[in-house]
Amino acid sequence: MLNTRRGRLLKENLTAYAFLAPAGVLIFLFGLFPVAFAFFVSLHRWRRFPDSYIGLANYEKALGNLGYILFFWLALLAFAAAVRVSRQLAKTLRQSDFKLEAVPLLVGVICGYATLLALDWFFKLVPVIMLIPRQVRGQNVSLDLFMEKFGESFASPDVYAAGQMMLLGFALTAVALALVVWRFRTVSSAEVIVRGGMATAALLAAVFLLRLTIDETNLAIAAARESGESLPIWSQLVFVSAGIVLVASAWLIFQRGIRAQSNRRFALLAFGGLALAVGGYLLMAEAPAALAAADDDLLQGFWVTVMYAGGTVPVQLTIGLLLAYLLFQPIRFRSFFRMVYFIPYITPFVATSIVFRIIFDAGKTAPANRMLAIVGIEPQRWILERSSIGSLLGLPDFLAGPALALIVIMIYSTWTYIGYDAVIFLAGLGNISGELYEAARIDGASGWRIFRHITLPLLSPTIFFLSLVAIIGTFQAFTQIWILRTGAVGSKVNTASVYIFDELQNSNRYGYASSMAFVLFALILLMTLFQNRIMGRRVFYG
Amino acid sequence: MASDKAGMAPPTEAPRPPLDPWRIAIYAVLFAGVLIAIGPFLWMISASFMTLSEVNLTRLLPENLLWENYATALRRANFLDIEVVTHPETGVLQSLGVSGYIWNSVRITFITVTGSLLVCIPAAYAFARMNFIGRNFIFALFLSTMMIPGIVMLIPHLLTVIWLGRLSESLFGPAGAWFNNWPALTIPFFASVFNIFLLRQFFIQIPEDLWEAARIDGAGHPRFLISVVLPLSKAPIMTIVTLGFIGSWNALMWPLLVTINDEWRPIAVGLSNFVTADTPGDLNLQMAASVITVIPILALYFVAQKQFTEGISQTGIKS
Repeated sequence: MLNTRRGRLLKENLTAYAFLAPAGVLIFLFGLFPVAFAFFVSLHRWRRFPDSYIGLANYEKALGNLGYILFFWLALLAFAAAVRVSRQLAKTLRQSDFKLEAVPLLVGVICGYATLLALDWFFKLVPVIMLIPRQVRGQNVSLDLFMEKFGESFASPDVYAAGQMMLLGFALTAVALALVVWRFRTVSSAEVIVRGGMATAALLAAVFLLRLTIDETNLAIAAARESGESLPIWSQLVFVSAGIVLVASAWLIFQRGIRAQSNRRFALLAFGGLALAVGGYLLMAEAPAALAAADDDLLQGFWVTVMYAGGTVPVQLTIGLLLAYLLFQPIRFRSFFRMVYFIPYITPFVATSIVFRIIFDAGKTAPANRMLAIVGIEPQRWILERSSIGSLLGLPDFLAGPALALIVIMIYSTWTYIGYDAVIFLAGLGNISGELYEAARIDGASGWRIFRHITLPLLSPTIFFLSLVAIIGTFQAFTQIWILRTGAVGSKVNTASVYIFDELQNSNRYGYASSMAFVLFALILLMTLFQNRIMGRRVFYG
Repeated sequence: MASDKAGMAPPTEAPRPPLDPWRIAIYAVLFAGVLIAIGPFLWMISASFMTLSEVNLTRLLPENLLWENYATALRRANFLDIEVVTHPETGVLQSLGVSGYIWNSVRITFITVTGSLLVCIPAAYAFARMNFIGRNFIFALFLSTMMIPGIVMLIPHLLTVIWLGRLSESLFGPAGAWFNNWPALTIPFFASVFNIFLLRQFFIQIPEDLWEAARIDGAGHPRFLISVVLPLSKAPIMTIVTLGFIGSWNALMWPLLVTINDEWRPIAVGLSNFVTADTPGDLNLQMAASVITVIPILALYFVAQKQFTEGISQTGIKS
């Protein structure tokens, strides 16, 4: 009986893994591994084939000294994560008998360490393997030759040493696991092992990041000193970090002030918060100095991205909501409207952009210019115009805003996404119970008040979701810009992603492009977290 | 899930109130929206029949319908080239050579969608209906890959594809190359976490009784999957097929990176090349080429509209 049950369980497990295997291999290759690999590439000089390890130099090239500061914060974050996992572990240990779990804990630590050893070996092996295509280039490629090179790469000194360490780690893990299975088999041991392993891995990763950052920073400072300059990374780090901390605490104090009961208390807190914010702002004035050596094209890319997001997201969400609200009224042809509004979203950018090129052509007869002529405005150069909208309107420099060409791209992008937003909003509106409207109407609420006090709050999860998707989308926006940009506007419309792609395809700077992609990734993550905290609190989940 | 409701009309099909000014205003706004949404397409179609000077003057309608624009565009943009060789005397078909961007896109789309179904269906089934060690952990790991922005993956994907290509080239000869060949354009998209997720949600809802009955009849998991689960899952499979179709048909960034000539380049790249090579040339031909590119997507959209809207409400993908 037991035997057949076991046999069936084993069979079910094996079938499941067989079912998962193809997807698992592909997702590992094209989903999980790439993240670690991109980070690895970003630490190297790498043009098509791996070159030398250069530490954080790519990040310095991208962000100047701020690159080091960023990594310092990243290391701190990794420490925070390690602490969090450790606290969960401590909680598990407290719930069970600590003495009994000491051995599984040790096993967990060994497992975590062995995992990192395996990673170390793997990433020492990768560059050697990556060189094989170059080594066999020109020769008559055969499987034997390829396999020979493949075998050789395992034997190269660095990889070999790391491999031995890894095997040692695996052997220790196997022994330790066997010990647990034999002697300490309890329900919570498995959990302790997993959490212990994760805590160890997180802690070691944090230590690695911190050491990398400090070593690289010291190296950079030493190099600068040798050439007779000074590189004030540490002081900048302290100033900028302190500035960020001050502004963040100012924000917290403001929040408390808003909730304060008495006016005096509110005034006091508001004043304190203001003082902190000003102090923080002054300290953060160091940030531009830290960015002095940064890649101007990348910084401009970020700025263009911010303008692009600011110009498209609110507009497209507002119009999308308006259309959805109108569609939700009792009207005829609802499904026709919905179908038509969706069309711009599903058609390829390449095809629709051509029409927009013609509408916003620089010629006098172009539709956009004809419309301007009706109102009596001079024809514009639209997608060929690199001057900013502010300077065209005669505004002072600090109100310059995006280039006119970027505005055209924004219009195009908004046109594409409105239908998508409207369809999702419509789904969200459909989820609101009709009874609420009924009740409000009986109470005599006007249309606007119903919208403001019932529809909007109950729709807030949808608004939150769409704004998150839209902002992340604009930070990754590529195709619509890549297609509509012209040589005449130069880099004025290049968002960060377009610049990264250019570096990759035209300059083959894989290492540098990877580091910039990582900076963009960090920014998107940060924004998501921020949006979750700020907006998530205002979302009303019925 | 909120998106389930996307295809459902709001419950207000009650007797229609009479037309008042407010209602007229609503219709006015909605029809203006229609005009803005499909105006560019209508003009695209109209311009594709015009002479070049008519396009340059941005006329609304052509004087004569120039159907030959389409033939010229197909040829000039290298969209489709069918070479039929028949025997000179008997007229029997000897060989049929099809090439061009449309053919490439059709091939790529077909391979991607088929491969994706073959890879994702078993995986989704395992997550939905089987018990195995580490199921939740692996599922969470899979899902976590959805959060990573595509631009971070671009370079590692490229390097992986180059390397795997070299390996398979030494295994299968030049035909096994990945770069500038179908594997680079299709295989990375086989294992779509979203597809797995979508199918899993559907498979979970299939009643347990069916499985009990099948097991009593002696069917194992593979058998149950093929003869019971799949016939019940036409709707999600259709969604995956349609989304996969748009994804491959519209793809631009990745094909630009991994192709160097026209042998496998998909239609979006082809159209983009045609337009850039032609600037500021024959706009009427560019319009015809655009219409040709858009038609398959629109046709599929009109046929499988429900799957489109629902699928996209659930993913928000656009490539």
